[in-house]
Amino acid sequence: MRRDMGVVILIFTFAVIAIGLVALYSASYHNVRVSHKIFYDQVIFSVVGLFLLLYLSNLDYRKFYDLAYFFYGGSVILLILVLVSGRHALGAQRWFSIAGISFQPSEVAKLTLIFGLGRYFSDRRSSLSARPRSSLGVLWHDLFVPLLMTLVPMLLVFKQPDLGTSLLFFGIFIFMLFTSGLRYRYILGFLLLCLMMMPFGWHIIKPYQKDRLLVFLNPNIDPLGAGYTIIQSKIAVGSGRLWGKGWLSGTQNQLNFLPERHTDFIFSVIGEEWGLLGTLALVTCYGVVIYAGLKVAEHVKDRFGMQIAVGMTGIFSLQVLINIGMVLGMCPVVGITLPLVSYGRTSFLVSLFMIGILLNLSKRHTVF
Amino acid sequence: MRIKIIRVIIILGLLCLAADLVYTQGIRGSFYYHQSVNNRIRVIPLDGIRGRILDRNGVVLADNRLSFNVAMIPQDIKENDQVFHYLSQVLNVKKSKLFQQYSQKKHAPFAPVVVAEDVDKKVAMILEENKFRFPGLYVQEHSRRYYPMGSIGAHLIGQVGKINRTKMEKLKDYGYTPLSIVGYSGIEEYYDHYLKGKEGGLQIEVNSRGQQVRLLSMRDAESGEDVHLTIDARIQQIAQEALGNRKGAIVILDFDSGEILGMVSSPTYDPNIFVDHRLQGQISFAYSSPDAPLLNRAIQGQYPPGSVFKIILTVAALANKRISRHTTFNCPGYYTLGKRQFRCAHVHNAQNLIEAIAHSCNVYFFNTGLLIGPDQMYKYARLLGLGEVTHVDLPAEERGFLPSRRLRRIRNPTGWYKGDTLNYSIGQGEVLATPLQVARMTATVGRSGKEVQPFLIKKIGEQDIVQFSTVRLVNLAPEIFTIVQEGLKGAVKDPHGTARLLDMPGFKIFGKTGTAQSVPGKDEHAWFAGYSLEGKKRVSFCVFLEYGGSSYNAVVLTRELFQRLRIEDIL
Repeated sequence: MRRDMGVVILIFTFAVIAIGLVALYSASYHNVRVSHKIFYDQVIFSVVGLFLLLYLSNLDYRKFYDLAYFFYGGSVILLILVLVSGRHALGAQRWFSIAGISFQPSEVAKLTLIFGLGRYFSDRRSSLSARPRSSLGVLWHDLFVPLLMTLVPMLLVFKQPDLGTSLLFFGIFIFMLFTSGLRYRYILGFLLLCLMMMPFGWHIIKPYQKDRLLVFLNPNIDPLGAGYTIIQSKIAVGSGRLWGKGWLSGTQNQLNFLPERHTDFIFSVIGEEWGLLGTLALVTCYGVVIYAGLKVAEHVKDRFGMQIAVGMTGIFSLQVLINIGMVLGMCPVVGITLPLVSYGRTSFLVSLFMIGILLNLSKRHTVF
Repeated sequence: MRIKIIRVIIILGLLCLAADLVYTQGIRGSFYYHQSVNNRIRVIPLDGIRGRILDRNGVVLADNRLSFNVAMIPQDIKENDQVFHYLSQVLNVKKSKLFQQYSQKKHAPFAPVVVAEDVDKKVAMILEENKFRFPGLYVQEHSRRYYPMGSIGAHLIGQVGKINRTKMEKLKDYGYTPLSIVGYSGIEEYYDHYLKGKEGGLQIEVNSRGQQVRLLSMRDAESGEDVHLTIDARIQQIAQEALGNRKGAIVILDFDSGEILGMVSSPTYDPNIFVDHRLQGQISFAYSSPDAPLLNRAIQGQYPPGSVFKIILTVAALANKRISRHTTFNCPGYYTLGKRQFRCAHVHNAQNLIEAIAHSCNVYFFNTGLLIGPDQMYKYARLLGLGEVTHVDLPAEERGFLPSRRLRRIRNPTGWYKGDTLNYSIGQGEVLATPLQVARMTATVGRSGKEVQPFLIKKIGEQDIVQFSTVRLVNLAPEIFTIVQEGLKGAVKDPHGTARLLDMPGFKIFGKTGTAQSVPGKDEHAWFAGYSLEGKKRVSFCVFLEYGGSSYNAVVLTRELFQRLRIEDIL
């Protein structure tokens, strides 16, 4: 059963990557704004990722259990370093250059947080069954410590500033907290508290982020500024109609009406050129991968494996939902990539890494 | 278990996405498709060049010249402040004013905004040279109306301007757009439909920066048609100069065809003030001046015709057989009606009809007027074209006014008195006529009852305009007109004739003077109307001076006019 899931995940992952490459080819076709180089870049990374996938699926994933806190600590240090000395691009400090290859520590931090939280929750579980505790103790150990673990990288990323990714960290936390076995009333109480804190959040976000939120509510307040992207992307997706305008023939795409179309807004290129047919196909592929991922999580026997499977599938789904949602104007524009489709080396490799772990988990039957 | 809950939530989320995709692409797809088309397709209008207006010899009366506008494309402007600073220096206009204009007119990021119209060629060249420094700033070239004759004959030619709301309402079905330039008076207005070019346009595909990617389709702009008039520019110039600063009008018609050879009005204005922004300051003066320079006195000015009306009275009396050529009345210098004395210019003593016309004896015509009564005067005045528009091809022509007993009964319960008849007889009181009506009336008399239709149009484009029904017959015995003609000749030839000044060798002028009382305390209006049968062309004319004093002044002016025309070898 789980082995079948592994095959399903592999096939549909390839399908998603293929759709992404086709879209990326078109997004950078004969264009000054977006160099065609990025397409070949993505091809190379797909091949590299394939080997990574093979390597990861044959690895003993318990190794990640042992190294979880080490990875976690390392990524936090990287996040601090990038804030101090990282490369500026698009008004934010997100990139790091090592030996000429730039990468984004915040993407890596997603992975390490999943490992860290996975190890913490699985450790807690075994001690939890040993002796009963006071509810205050449960709250402290099962809620606040992991929350602190999440908040450290989250705030560091938020500082970059990268609101989208930092929210993803919070998403990871919620998913993993949910499956950690903590009682519903604590979880619900915590979520309610967060909801009540939200108005305070308005004061700590940057003005451009405020603009984006306002524009989300009504894109027409600033059609040429903050609202431009969302209006144009909606037009692009909608104008694809049922069958699309055809590959390389999307006018919104080819005539540069879509900004960021090779990264965060690649979905609008697919929508415009392939129509409802293409978008539904892509969403279905994602759905299958996510469904299979969760099936894997269900059948993994040990808690660590289950927790990281949930964390990875969860963040994968969150990215898909938020990214497509923002292209369609259903949620505010936050910089979140479409996994395995958007151009971005780190993000692409991290997504493949997660798929690799899921494949690996699908093979394991028992814990030793 | 908890994983199942997560699964349900995520699957629900994906289904929401799918539903929204179906809505956006399936149901609202066409809407977004049209938006994407509008996004990338722009229509750039091309002006059609307005046709020229030429005189009968091909002299250009209204022309087009190349002009330069400074325009900005909002989305390409990078540093607003710097651009405006630079512009204000080059154009010598305040920065804030430029910016205000710019923000008022700005309506779309790709649409050029004109910040300065019709700049000097020098300025345009400076801007062109520095174009690369300020992307988005450029110089537009287009054609602009220009009137080479300036203020000479301005009323007849008219002027153009941007279309206003009233005109737009009227003309929107005829290919006019809110950006159209339309004629506002004179020929420019009357023949606007022919003069106006057809606006064309380019349909281009643009990218997100509004830069052209390729041309999709194009419709050439069509130039308007040239309009050729019957006017002679030389006559216009001479007539306008002859009038000079005096208020008045001169109309010169071709005696045989009704072609208008000259029509000027004074005071005049320079139509260029309406098309050249540097002269814009003078527009308000043109509108507010008490001398009404915009009024075309030749067709819109309505004045009592004074003694010129005696021509009509004579025709009426002869047609009614109340008098004959030899009927004689005695003129003691005044006419007594009740307690009032109606004065004559001189003591003429006994005079027959011919002498009475030649000397313009009021008493003679008082007697004649009382013989036939106002109803007959009204009838014959109408017959000779007064009280009704001439239908000349110019806008806003006035019809003048003819009093009648019927109208008086309706409007004024006091009724009609003999004194009114006396006033009527010598063209005073309520009678009003335009110089053009008078000029046509004398032509009708000179042509023994064949009334011509005055017109201005000769050719539109390459098409000659043939006038139909240019002649209307006034069905009266030719002898009647012969007698009047004799009287009109007498005015010039008689040693005591009122227009003896015009008895010049080489000329054969017929005419009637008129001195019409105007408002109390102001000088009289001076008229001289008639026709000339000797020379290159037979013409009928009317010279009118508003508050010009005695008709003698009009006669002097006519003499000057004809002498100049003869020297210039036109008549």
